[in-house]
Amino acid sequence: MIEFNRVGKSYGGVRALDDVSFTVGAGSITGFLGPNGAGKSTAMRVLAGLSRPSSGAATVLGRPYAELDRPGSQVGVLLDASAQHPGRTGREVLTLGAMMLGLPASRVDEVLDLVGLTGQEARRRVGGYSLGMRQRLGVGHALLGRPRVLVLDEPANGLDPQGIRWMRGLLRGLAEAGCAILLSSHLLHEVEQVADRIVMIGRGRVLAQGTLAELGRGRSLEQLFLDLTATTDRSPA
Amino acid sequence: MTATATPGMTAAPTPFHRLLAVEARKLVDTRSGKALVLVLAGLVPAAVAARGAVSGPELQALVNAAGIGPGTLLPVLGILTVTGEWSHRTALTTFTLEPRRGRVLAAKFLPALAAAVAACVLAVLAAVPATAVTAAVQGVPAVWEVDPAALLGWAGVQVLMVAEGLGMGVLLLNAPAAIVICLASPMVWAVVGRLGSAGATLAEWFDLNTTTGPLMSGDLSGGGAARLAVSVLVWIAVPMAAGAVRVIRGEVR
Repeated sequence: MIEFNRVGKSYGGVRALDDVSFTVGAGSITGFLGPNGAGKSTAMRVLAGLSRPSSGAATVLGRPYAELDRPGSQVGVLLDASAQHPGRTGREVLTLGAMMLGLPASRVDEVLDLVGLTGQEARRRVGGYSLGMRQRLGVGHALLGRPRVLVLDEPANGLDPQGIRWMRGLLRGLAEAGCAILLSSHLLHEVEQVADRIVMIGRGRVLAQGTLAELGRGRSLEQLFLDLTATTDRSPA
Repeated sequence: MTATATPGMTAAPTPFHRLLAVEARKLVDTRSGKALVLVLAGLVPAAVAARGAVSGPELQALVNAAGIGPGTLLPVLGILTVTGEWSHRTALTTFTLEPRRGRVLAAKFLPALAAAVAACVLAVLAAVPATAVTAAVQGVPAVWEVDPAALLGWAGVQVLMVAEGLGMGVLLLNAPAAIVICLASPMVWAVVGRLGSAGATLAEWFDLNTTTGPLMSGDLSGGGAARLAVSVLVWIAVPMAAGAVRVIRGEVR
């Protein structure tokens, strides 16, 4: 349902993405891993149509994102939970999204319930939210239109232990219902528990991809991550 | 469901009326937006009352006074509606929900321009009773004469000023820079206009405040229209077009 086909992206002379290819199928949670600056967020922005690839193509449900009809009801995207107007309330953020998608106001309440924000919290301005609350709000915003595809950039960042357990259950439930989920994270232990496939990138290139069992061969995800990214760190680009 | 809808596919892009409703709501759903509206609501009656007390019950003068607050603040609202998406990076979500970015920009421009028209109507509505009250209080006859051409021209200038704000906002995508340029340019032009004949000629053709003068007083001649067109092109049309291209083609971060 998500497909990267030889995607390349250069800024000036710098290659942020280089020949990136992978797919995420229905009912799968794919963990998207890599060191800071490896190109995860760039790849996700390209996927969401916010950035044009220099070569190759990224598609969702078989089409480039920008050509999807009412993309919000097909793809849920959370690229940065902090990118919110601090003067808006949590409820207002969801209300604007629901209006855009033509959803009834009752959907806002459903989503608030789903992500565990109380009515009182929803009436507060986002400027006063903790990062964990912003993540819940951002995930809720992504889920408004009941999408079949989810693209989440570090959604577990800043969540407390209860929040992390909640997120794990939520994502598993969505995948069981047939959602395709692409999830980036630095919380390797968490990815190990929730993802069924891993795509690891470093310096814009895919270093490895497959199921945990295929890739790890007994190693923990953390060891695998350090082994793979250490190699790219020493090699001359 | 229309007969042409394909089963299993969702229909067409986000309807424009929905984008309009969302962007109009965004003008006033933040603290800064609400504060701006409240300040305006206080400024208009205050300006009308003060002008009435000073210059007597003349409707034309009171209408002009009522327009000063909106004329200064609505361009700022126009700037903020565009630049807010970049300063708070909400463009990430806005353009993910509607990737056709040109439609989003149009939906941002129209409510801001409509607010200028609405402010003009409100200014007149505030000035009429204020003229009557001032006449009664001062015990002098009210002057109701209004030049329709000047009134329309005045409203047109209010809309142009908001359009300038939108143009600068979308070109620079930076609220402080756009606000400084819009609010400081009249002062800069006042200086330029005094720099000999070359400066005066420049101001005559490129200073919106100078070129909108004839429109405001309701006697726009052929030459005046040409000068107005040139300054509108330079300060409104070109920035808007260049800014729209920048937003539609550029990266959203």
